[in-house]
Amino acid sequence: MDAIQLLISSALTFAATGLLSLLLRGLERPARVVSGLGGAAASVLAFLSALAAFVGDSASLELTGFSAFGRFVLAMDGLSAFMVGAISLLAFAASIYSIGYVHEYRGRGCGELGFFNNIFIAAMLMVVTVANAFYFLIFWELMTLASYFLVIFEQEKKESVSAGYLYFLIAHIGTALIMLSFFILYQQTGSFDFDSFRNAGLPLGIQSLIFLLAFFGFGAKAGIVPLHIWLPRAHPAAPSHVSALLSGVMIKTAIYGLIRLCVDILGAPLWWWGFVVLCFGGLSALLGIVYALDERDLKRLLAYSSVENVGIILMGVGVGMMGMSLQLPTLAVIGFLAALYHLLNHAMFKGLLFMGAGAVVYSAHTRNMNEMGGLARAMPWTSFVFLVGAVAISAIPPLNGFVSEWFVFQSLFIASSTELGVLRVFAPLFAVLLGLVGAMAAMTFVKAYGTTFTGQPRSVHARDAVEVPGSMLAGMGALAIAVTLLGLGAPWVTPFIGGVAAQVANVPTETLASGIQIFPGNEAQGVLSTPIIFLLHAGLLTFPLVAVFALGGHRAGQRVDADPWACGYGYQPQMGISATNFAQPMLAAFRPLYLLRTLAQKPLDGIASFAKRFGASLPAAEPVVERTVSQPIFAFVRTVGGWVQRMQMGDLRMYCLYIFIALAVLLIVIFK
Amino acid sequence: MTTGSLIFIGLLQAVLVAALAPLFSGFARVLRAKMHSRHGPPLLQNYYDLFKLMKRQEILPAHGSLVFRITPYVTIVSALLVVMIVPILAADSPFGWVGDMILVVYLLMLARFFTSLAGLSSGSTFGGMGARRELFVSALVEPLILLVLFVMSLLAESTNLGAISRGVATGAIPYLATVWLGMVSFAFVVFVEAGKLPFDLSEAEQELQEGAFTEYSGRGLALMQWGFYMKQLAVVSLFIAVFVPFGTMTTLSLLGGLLALAIFLIKAAALYFLAAILENAMARTRFIKAPSFTWIAVGVGLLCFAFYLVRI
Repeated sequence: MDAIQLLISSALTFAATGLLSLLLRGLERPARVVSGLGGAAASVLAFLSALAAFVGDSASLELTGFSAFGRFVLAMDGLSAFMVGAISLLAFAASIYSIGYVHEYRGRGCGELGFFNNIFIAAMLMVVTVANAFYFLIFWELMTLASYFLVIFEQEKKESVSAGYLYFLIAHIGTALIMLSFFILYQQTGSFDFDSFRNAGLPLGIQSLIFLLAFFGFGAKAGIVPLHIWLPRAHPAAPSHVSALLSGVMIKTAIYGLIRLCVDILGAPLWWWGFVVLCFGGLSALLGIVYALDERDLKRLLAYSSVENVGIILMGVGVGMMGMSLQLPTLAVIGFLAALYHLLNHAMFKGLLFMGAGAVVYSAHTRNMNEMGGLARAMPWTSFVFLVGAVAISAIPPLNGFVSEWFVFQSLFIASSTELGVLRVFAPLFAVLLGLVGAMAAMTFVKAYGTTFTGQPRSVHARDAVEVPGSMLAGMGALAIAVTLLGLGAPWVTPFIGGVAAQVANVPTETLASGIQIFPGNEAQGVLSTPIIFLLHAGLLTFPLVAVFALGGHRAGQRVDADPWACGYGYQPQMGISATNFAQPMLAAFRPLYLLRTLAQKPLDGIASFAKRFGASLPAAEPVVERTVSQPIFAFVRTVGGWVQRMQMGDLRMYCLYIFIALAVLLIVIFK
Repeated sequence: MTTGSLIFIGLLQAVLVAALAPLFSGFARVLRAKMHSRHGPPLLQNYYDLFKLMKRQEILPAHGSLVFRITPYVTIVSALLVVMIVPILAADSPFGWVGDMILVVYLLMLARFFTSLAGLSSGSTFGGMGARRELFVSALVEPLILLVLFVMSLLAESTNLGAISRGVATGAIPYLATVWLGMVSFAFVVFVEAGKLPFDLSEAEQELQEGAFTEYSGRGLALMQWGFYMKQLAVVSLFIAVFVPFGTMTTLSLLGGLLALAIFLIKAAALYFLAAILENAMARTRFIKAPSFTWIAVGVGLLCFAFYLVRI
């Protein structure tokens, strides 16, 4: 089978196992095994499809007979294959993990959870491969709706429902902007095909308008500051394996959309496009990690950290776009390489961390880090894989987070010596910003790991925690291995991703690795060899060991003492540092940035209270207009409502269908 | 130089730094005692301490996890890797084919990550406070290290530490205002990284500055302290390699090596001396006021960058 056939069979497997899980919803165990194992099998198919696309040439397939005005074209170029690969890797781990984890949701609709989850993954696979704007929007909407139902899955919690509402609102504002940018392109070219968009030859002014619409449209989904407010509420609200998918890959489909539209199709002709992306990237990275540091809810901390990582990815994208517009092929390739590498890395370690957080919630039944502590004793395996993820996300060598941030630094280094004055000034400053973000990320994850897994238990829940089932450990273990391989295997992974980056930038491939070293196009500029760093770490370990042995330390013996030293008083677990006070000095030092959040809250609350007051004042005006205006309208509405009631069966799938029909009708009305 | 001789020099540097680091810290202790008009410990006291601690029974806190046990080894290994990359004896970076200045900065971060995690994992109040301090200070100075090293890399057109060191040594990077300002702000970084004032209370060293070490004892404490001494010497050697890299050897020879070592020892001793004077002459301040000090250094760093932009 070729790449496209594999992809379609994967998507159909996802959809079929999802439906089967829905049909089996009365029997919970079969439902979760079917959706989990089926999802894993479908992920393998999707991964094979990505491999086939990498090995073979770009493949595409047109399916006819769906709709009169849009060709249903699936295309697998390097970028699409890369995204399919990233989605399938995480989806595989999440599916395995879900088999055990969904047990937590027994009696609350495991079947429905499997259905929405698998449909959600299938929709993401379609979004990154479909090559027609009309179908792109259909699948985009399907992805949004499926994920919305996953966010509000814990409906008994008011918090989840309001988070879902916010997500729904902002996602659709974003979708509206994306639609507008596609419609402008349609207006100019008379077609929805990406291929025809490519040859449009629009004036730069209109292109810039399309760019801005698309950037903020996709930015709303990616969670850039200031459109991020839904992300830290919605991602933690969902079940943890879904949080992993939301943060790991769903927000990356927005990055994909941005690259596809603004880089691949429009070709990033103006330098300020890239600069806008770079600036918003830097802002998101900084504020994301600043707010993550302050969180005491483990899953919200991870969600804020996703805002940070999206920022880092966008910094790479921005540099790459500027490289394209300045006709500097090396800069473009290294920028996109850094972005795509970090995209993949973040999918792996954030997936791992969210699943680790899920395991903690599964065992300790709390998300509040102040009530955890000492879980490493009860959950040694979860604790170990979480540590791997925490080290990787803090960009500690030699794991994968360091490799991609190294490329971001190198791309900024190249950018610093271009002819463009703005870049000469700002590129080094963004590198410094990245250094600050890295240090704060380390602090955030020392806090997350330290207060959750080490120290003494600070609550009954934490004391009674037990290790999670094998399927959950297997899912997390797979990701921990991926994190390690993407780091140590950098010399072999980099040329692949570099090839995709060159294809995106439409320039010849650069030499990025030789033997066991990687370098940014030019060896003299700087080299890195993660396998050797690892070997040196392992080899140098003999040094202290030999020293201990030579000085007789091995004979000294060990004793485990019960309590840490507490100045002679009786030790109590509360004496250890908790999540809240760990970040306290940072709050003092970066007060203006936290103040910003408080200040931004005011206008938001203002809008909310205005809406509320507006609603409350309506009844007062009611009697006046009632007889003249309202009553006829009410009568009409009631009649219409009667008809509508017949359509309202309370079945969520029917609603999905309605939205699809409405969208189709709308498009036909406008463009026929 | 051939890869073989570079690897040899790198390993030699690691052994030298491991062997000499306690001596330099002992030197700083003696200086401080003299300035306090105390008799002070013998110059080799740190070695005696390490030997003795190694033979003592180790007591582990009941809730210290895996992290607590591996951290002493991690700190030593990362410090050794740093000094294998920094050009100390040769003009080239001995392990420059493994990584560059960005790697060095993040290797320092690796040590800090595990040290503070170990402090937190001990469950001790002081351990946790030490961990918090360590990371807070790192967040304040990390951007500064990167800013200065980034500017120097731009001048050398490479992030390789050997290229920067050679550029300054041969005069390809002249001592203009940029380099001088970079030197000042980097000196501040070295001062802070070496765990000196103003953010450390020498009378409360046990509890605060070495807070992450609180629950360590015996072999673990010996290794942690040894690693800390190595890290001090590593950042000092980084400063020397970037800003005063004269007297290193260009080809591998015994005489050249001995000469380079002697010159390095003199330069390092001079820096420890200056740091000791500064440390004892300065007032102590509340830890929470640290940002106001680092902001001055960041200001100097930004000035260095501005001068780089206008090429002065």
